[in-house]
Formats: sequence, structure tokens, C-alpha cells
Amino acid sequence: AAEPWPENAALYQQLKEEQILLSDNASSLAVQAFLQMCNLPIRVVCRANAEYMSPSGKVPFIHVGNQVVSELGPIVQFVKAKGHSLSDGLDEVQKAEMKAYMELVNNMLLTAELYLQWCDDVTVEEITHPRYGSPYPWPLNRILSYQKQWEVRRKMKAIGWAGKTLEQVLEDVDQCCNALSQRLGTQPYFFNKQPTELDALVFGHLFTILTTQLITDELSEKVKNYSNLTAFCRRIEQQYFEGHDKDSSTTVAARSAKRSLLR
Amino acid sequence: EVPVLISEDTVISQPAKILNFLRKQKYNADYELSAKQGADTLAYIALLEEKLFPALLHTFWVEAENYCSVTKPWFASRIAFPLSLYLPGKMSREALKRILLTRGGPPLYSLTEVEAQIYRDAKECLNLLSKRLGTSQFFFGDTPTTLDAFVFGFLAPIYKVCFPRVQLQEHLKQLPNLCRFCDDILTCYFRLTVAGHSPSGQDTADANLQKLTQLVNKESNLIEKMDDNLRKSPQHPPRKLTTLKLAAGGEEITPLNRLSP
Repeated sequence: AAEPWPENAALYQQLKEEQILLSDNASSLAVQAFLQMCNLPIRVVCRANAEYMSPSGKVPFIHVGNQVVSELGPIVQFVKAKGHSLSDGLDEVQKAEMKAYMELVNNMLLTAELYLQWCDDVTVEEITHPRYGSPYPWPLNRILSYQKQWEVRRKMKAIGWAGKTLEQVLEDVDQCCNALSQRLGTQPYFFNKQPTELDALVFGHLFTILTTQLITDELSEKVKNYSNLTAFCRRIEQQYFEGHDKDSSTTVAARSAKRSLLR
Repeated sequence: EVPVLISEDTVISQPAKILNFLRKQKYNADYELSAKQGADTLAYIALLEEKLFPALLHTFWVEAENYCSVTKPWFASRIAFPLSLYLPGKMSREALKRILLTRGGPPLYSLTEVEAQIYRDAKECLNLLSKRLGTSQFFFGDTPTTLDAFVFGFLAPIYKVCFPRVQLQEHLKQLPNLCRFCDDILTCYFRLTVAGHSPSGQDTADANLQKLTQLVNKESNLIEKMDDNLRKSPQHPPRKLTTLKLAAGGEEITPLNRLSP
């Protein structure tokens, strides 16, 4: 694992404009932010079947040299094995805290995003179904979409989220944002001066929530209530995504479906 | 769905809602905490649920030897026949389903791989908790808080229940500060001997059942009285609500809140 980081490392996700959904976009952005923070060049490749190419079935995944690694957790480990790490400077207690907060984001924010896009009927009909299967012809698009929906709903039922109403889910999001806001306080990053994978993960999710147009603005309003979180997102956007090559290698450039934070 | 808190006329299930209810009644263990510490609490609880809970479920409900020799007889002994033949099996199947749905899936293709992964995660979680606890008595200093209650709730069963297959318990025993933490809470708040099982376990369960029955009876008496008061017309005969007769005894009961302030 002592090979240097190759120039042609690629990150695969679904098609940006037509296909990718809120949760996948958040995960992908988190990985991109992490790699930018580590100063490792990566180019984003959009493929309709990215989910199926991934070794774990989840996006994003990176293709580095002759290895393929998916999801933020394993990617962080992989990058660490190559000698780059953002959390080396933390002591044991801080590392424990960082891991705990990452689980909080996965547990609450990611699950809420999944709930919103697969269990809320209005969103499912108007946004998710049209987007998810859009690269494929009928009836494949509907079949894939329903299959995925069934899978996600099964999982929601197993963890007890199927019984929740949208209000309760939004309240959970609010609670999570409150916790993140309290933890961030007035610092530039969660562990003061240097960003860590936690910052990347939080940025990925919050930025996506703030800039994705859904049926209603309720979700993004919950995040907007916390000014230090929006400032945090803006700061990371400016520092790590502006001024890099503009050839749509980042998802942050303003596009039709999304609006930039800087307005 | 358990746990269930019944207080006078309200019935609440799910830990989060019960805690909210208690807070409204001014029982709040987190009163002294700063907002940041409150946020930490939420984060660590998420860690417990994601990393430790699957392995806990597995140890209790999926691991065949454990399930057959300890869990099933234990649960079946307190459930009425014939439900005792069906319910433990159902809970076991649901536990397995939950583990596979949340942690299974590629690149882990077999149950053994999933099991290996969840135990690895659980051990890492225990290590993280141990590092976070360090040498202090509780997670936020000298007084216990909600986080201590949650951690105790997850750790104590691993620590105390005697299973045939105990890899998680053995790992926990290598973390002396967590063991000391559990022992402290057990001696302070549960008045059990450190050696383990409650000396009056069975009696406590019966006493609780008795109290529950009395609460329900008291409630139905109250409803009856309200009914009587509301009746304006004498033509309607008052309805007689049957009271449960599971246990004898008529001593006054206090609400079952036994948490420390």
C-alpha cells in the first residue's frame, strides 16, 4: 500500500443532472470533500450503473490504481493505508468523539434523507421515481425504482423508522443539526483548526440538503436555522471547491437543479 | 412494545419518548450539562446503536447456543403458554433480519462474514467507550447522566448474563474501567450484589406485575367514577367495569419512576 496516489484516480457516481438522488449526492460530495482536504486529485465520472459497479452496491466508489473502494468509511481507511490521514493529530478521546459524531450523521441525517426520498409518497412520485430510473427505458426504469423502494422500506421497517411521520423525521433532523451546531460552536472546523473526515461528511450532507430542490423547503429550512452550519458549508465550499478546475469535476458548480450557497 | 412507562393516565413506549416525558415532569439527569455535552450524548448514543447494538442482538438472539440455552428459556418462562412457543422464535427471526438488513449486503455475502464484521465493530465501539470514559466515574464527571444510563443499558447485559458463547463479554472484561462503571451503577442504583443476579429476581418481577395490576385496577375505578359523575339521566344504568384479579393486595401504589434525579 505504499504506492503513490495515481493521477487518474476516479470517483464514480450516478448521473448528476438527471439521476442522482439526495442521499447518494450527499455521500458522493462527502468523499469528494474528504479527498480535496487530503489534497488528493480525483476526477468525478458519472455512470448510470454506478450503483451496480460498486463493490458494496453503494455509491460513491473510487477507482485508484487497480483497487476499487466504496463508501466513506472504507475510503478513509484506504487513504490512511496510503499514508494520508486527517485525524492523526487527534488524541484517543477526540477520535472516539469524531467516530461518534460520524455515526450520528449516518444514523440521523442519512436515514432521514433516505426516508424522505423513498418513504414520503409525494417525493417518491414526483422526484425519486422519475429520477432513479431515468437512464433506462420503460418498463425497466419503473421496475428498478420499485425494487429499490421496496428494499429501502424494508430496512426502514427493521430499524423502526417506518412508523415515523414526516414531522417526526424533520424533528430528528433538527435535533441532529442542533447537536452538530453545538459541537461546532464558533470554531472553523469540528476539531478546531484542521478539517477531518467528520467535517467532510457533515459538509457533504448539509450542503446537499441546502442546495437540493425538493417538494418543500422544510428540510433545508431545518439546516438554515443554524447559522454556524451554513457558514461552515460556505467556508468549505470556498476553500476546497472554488478555484479548482471548472470542468464539472466537482458537484459544487451551480447547475440547473441546484443553486450555489453564495447568492 | 417494551419498555413501557405507565404513569397515572399516560402510557408511553420507546426510550426517547419516555425520557421526554420524564423531562417534562422535571426529572432531568442532563440538567448540569452544557449544550455541547448534550450534543456529545446524542452522538455517543448513535454510536452505541450503530456499532454495538447489532452484536448485542446477535449474542442474545441469533447465536444458536446462546439463544437455545439462555435467551429462549428465559423469555419463555415469563410468557404464557402457548405464546411462549412462538414469541421468542419471532423475536429471534426479527433480530436476524435487522442485522442482515442493516449490516449485511455486499461485499459481505455470508452470515459468518457479517457476524465477523459486527463483532469487530462492537469491540471497536467498546474500546472507544473505554477511552472516552478514561478514569472518571461517569461519562461527564461525577454525576450520572442520560448517556451513562444508555451505556449501562447496553453494557450490563453483555457484562452480566452468563452465555455459553461470550466473545463480547470477554472483550468487555479486558476493559476494567467499563466493568467498574457497570459495577458502580449496579451497586448504587439497583442494590444488587456485585456477584451478579438479583437475589429476589423472581419476587421483584412478581411484585412489579402486582403493582401493574393494581395501577390498571385503580385506573378503571377512576374511569368508573368519572362515568358516574357524567351521568345526568338516571335511566342509564351505570356500567360496571370489571377489575383485574391477578394479584391480591390493596396497598397504595406510587408511580413507578425510580430513576435518580
